[in-house]
Amino acid sequence: MKDLKHLIYFENLLQNAQNELVDQAKAAGQHALGYNCYYVPEVLLNLPGCFSSRLRAPRCTSTDIAGYYMTNRSCPYARSLLERAIEGGYNYLDALLGAESCATMDRMEEHFFLLNPVKNDKFFVTQLDPPMKGDNINLEYYKVQLRVKVLEPLRDKLGVDISDEAIRQAVEKHNRLCRVITEIGKLRKLDNPPITGYEFHVIQLVSQVCPHDLILPYLEETLDELKTREPEPKFPFRARVVVAGSEIDDPDFTKLIETCGAMVVADRYCFGSFPSREEIEIYANESAFDAICRHYLHWNQCARFMDGGKIDQRTSEVRRLYDEFKADGIIYENMKFCEFWSYEKVLKSHIFINEQHIPTCTIEKEYALGAVGQLRTRFQAFIESLEIKQIQGGK
Amino acid sequence: MKKVCKFLLKVLGKLTVIGLVTFAVTFTIYMTNAENKLIYYVVRPFLNKHYDSQVRDRRIV
Amino acid sequence: MKLLDKMIAPVDKALERFDPLWQAEHGVGGLRSRYYDKTGVAKWREWRGVKSTLVDYVAWINNLLAMAQMVASAPVPILKGFWEYRWMGSYLGTFMFIDRLFEGFRGPELKIAHMNMHAIVQSLTKKIAFGLKNDGRLGGGPDTENIIPYDETISPLFLMGFKGLYPFPMQTLPEFIICDIDQHIEPYYIDVAESFGLPADVCSRCAAETGVALDDAFLKVGKVMLSTNMPCNASEATSMFQRRRIDKPDFPITLAMQHQAPEAIPYSRATLEAAIAFVEEHYGVKYDWDEFAKYARLLNEQNNIELEKWEIFKTPYSALCGIAETLYRLYEWQSVNGQESHFNKNDRKVIKLMRKCYEQKHEPFGGKTRHRAFLWGPSAVYYCDFPTWVQNCWGINIVLNMDSTMGFNMIDTEDRDKGMDDLTALTQRATMRHHAVGGWENVNAVWEWAKRFNCDMVLMNDNIACNGMLGVHGMMEEQARDLGFHFIFIEHDLQDSRTVSRQDMRNCVNNYMSVVLGEKPLDPTLVEFDDSDAY
Repeated sequence: MKDLKHLIYFENLLQNAQNELVDQAKAAGQHALGYNCYYVPEVLLNLPGCFSSRLRAPRCTSTDIAGYYMTNRSCPYARSLLERAIEGGYNYLDALLGAESCATMDRMEEHFFLLNPVKNDKFFVTQLDPPMKGDNINLEYYKVQLRVKVLEPLRDKLGVDISDEAIRQAVEKHNRLCRVITEIGKLRKLDNPPITGYEFHVIQLVSQVCPHDLILPYLEETLDELKTREPEPKFPFRARVVVAGSEIDDPDFTKLIETCGAMVVADRYCFGSFPSREEIEIYANESAFDAICRHYLHWNQCARFMDGGKIDQRTSEVRRLYDEFKADGIIYENMKFCEFWSYEKVLKSHIFINEQHIPTCTIEKEYALGAVGQLRTRFQAFIESLEIKQIQGGK
Repeated sequence: MKKVCKFLLKVLGKLTVIGLVTFAVTFTIYMTNAENKLIYYVVRPFLNKHYDSQVRDRRIV
Repeated sequence: MKLLDKMIAPVDKALERFDPLWQAEHGVGGLRSRYYDKTGVAKWREWRGVKSTLVDYVAWINNLLAMAQMVASAPVPILKGFWEYRWMGSYLGTFMFIDRLFEGFRGPELKIAHMNMHAIVQSLTKKIAFGLKNDGRLGGGPDTENIIPYDETISPLFLMGFKGLYPFPMQTLPEFIICDIDQHIEPYYIDVAESFGLPADVCSRCAAETGVALDDAFLKVGKVMLSTNMPCNASEATSMFQRRRIDKPDFPITLAMQHQAPEAIPYSRATLEAAIAFVEEHYGVKYDWDEFAKYARLLNEQNNIELEKWEIFKTPYSALCGIAETLYRLYEWQSVNGQESHFNKNDRKVIKLMRKCYEQKHEPFGGKTRHRAFLWGPSAVYYCDFPTWVQNCWGINIVLNMDSTMGFNMIDTEDRDKGMDDLTALTQRATMRHHAVGGWENVNAVWEWAKRFNCDMVLMNDNIACNGMLGVHGMMEEQARDLGFHFIFIEHDLQDSRTVSRQDMRNCVNNYMSVVLGEKPLDPTLVEFDDSDAY
């Protein structure tokens, strides 16, 4: 396939948290609002005068200082973020809107106010207590949390307009971005898609780490380009897989799977597009804020949800992606030391393999992809097994 | 009356003897840690052998 | 009494060379000398002087009788239980466990320790008998359907409003208490969980619970399951497995993690009320506030006495200390939680004795305490007698343990609305979750606690798989340095003694005491010994 016009530009934007578009938005006087979890609705961080920046620590090679604070036995993603913060990589931030989605994330965020690594006088941190069930009691709690920990601090500390009108405007812009990404993502359903999983991963990531206003024109142009892009004459991969699990913000991980021979057709992990790019619908007689809370609680696929409804939803959502994107198998991954996804992958791989008879592979990964030999072997073996299954006619 | 007293004394005496014997036996077991030795060296190894040979319904669902 | 003491004195004098404390003091042995190597089996029991040995002997008889009573109350289910459940076999180690806990205890501290321990033994034996008698797997019983199984980290007081129903902590018998007694039992269940692909780096307690579920070793009781998000991530995650295996309608009682925030109470209260409605629906029993209030008053009394105990703990004259305090408070709060009135009776007796000792300025452990320590962080379950060891070896008195600071607010039993809020606040402050998660302030509270209890040292349990505590390592070190506390991280793996052995834990203290503080041990036989095969 012909290279995408903006791919290299997008890849460059992912080299640093503070990329050139972030600098541009800052120069225009916008507030940079950091977050690291789906529980904090991206749309609320894109109210007029603000832009969201989902935190990554690209090219993080060592976490020595963060290791001193959090030990080397804690989640490498959280540790890498702290390391990057201490290195001064997030000095552009005006706030970190955090969530106690897991204990390690909570601890990492606490260091942002204990050590004051972000050299910005305005900078502040809030931490959500995110709900763990999908019922109304938890919806109400979620609303209270988002009001107290996100909206009100933005209004009181940064003077952000949090009126219903402003939120509606943010929803509208957010939906526009979601439509573009979803349309691009849907191309992966085709038998011979004009886009690779790696390219989509890069596109999805830039949409999360760059100011929406500034990245959207590039994304729209890329969509137009993809509509006419000629795919390879023959589907160049040996299999199609859904990747599900915890945090992945390194497109090289997707590239690794694809170089082993399987196209990543659906991305159901933190930083992936399922969930994150579903359009927000505001019902009649509903405030925009209420709609956002309802939407995010409904679509959230975090493994920390404990009620049967949400646990089953996690299974059915992966199953839906498997069916709709015509996948041959599922790869469940978890970040090392991530307890939620460690448990989830054991249970779900059991369900998919033994109850739904879908080939499923489980792996554990580090944040920074270093020595990938073992992973490559696992993927190759899995893809080979998928291929053999195809040859045997699915038997 | 005398007979009753004698009987009571006899009962008391017997109870004292039983009490003393019980004390002597239990205190000996206690001091020599006999029950723990029995459990550690005999009972638990036997039980563990049984547990190891159990076929358990081991599954996720 | 004084006459008796005079009569005993020559006997004590004549036999003092058999007392391990005397031996250690005179360099001719010590507390570890009477053990067979590795096993933890003592060749003979500890000679503590005439009076204390008799106190220990009588306690042994009492505990024996409690166990005999347990067997007599349900002989067939108990025997079947021993045959069916691997964890039941471990309960045979109870006597050895009690001996370990109170090694080196003498006088009033021994007496109080045994009073507390006997209350636990009575409660636990009844719980085992009741559970097995009604275990569906063993044929069931009259109350099988009247039991409300709940996750052991939920404080069960609120369930006492269901007259005729019996709250039952599912994990306590096969997983928690039994790991205190036998360090080798949970690794078996952990291996079961890991054989299904669970990584070895998750919290071993939750891995063990998962293993129990997968090995089909939970009792089969009740109509529903009440799970919870307490205390932490892994316990939330393991609930998924237990839910599927237990296969009953379940209700996760998810309480606010950041429970100190003002918005926490309305949410957690609504969740508790929904849990009550869930039980009402499935059991067809109406919630009775007056019934609940009866038990809430018992818990209020327990907490009142606890607060008085704390005042004495602050002085050097507390006859209740170390593991006798730690284990009792944990069990009384988390498992009993106002349900059993004999704990109130025991508390009344204990506080009376404590007052007396305080008035007499009695210093525990013969006044050999060198440091007063606050024990913080989730403790190693497989090394329950660790506080006893630090006292005997290094003279470090564990004044209070983190878990002892669980919910101590009073519950209004007259005003139902206020009472519900009080109950919610209390329920939120449960084991570990009140401290190890839910925000920096919860864990950082240790310094204030340590200061209030006149401690010069903080022993920080370092569960190598506890994400909540690992994330504060550096900050804790720095805080200790800034505030001038002696501070020791004690690495452990909560329920897996294979990863960090008891000796590894001891070495954390040994190194600090000898290298940093340059102190000599009180009993050199305790510095390094192999107890890897001990229960």
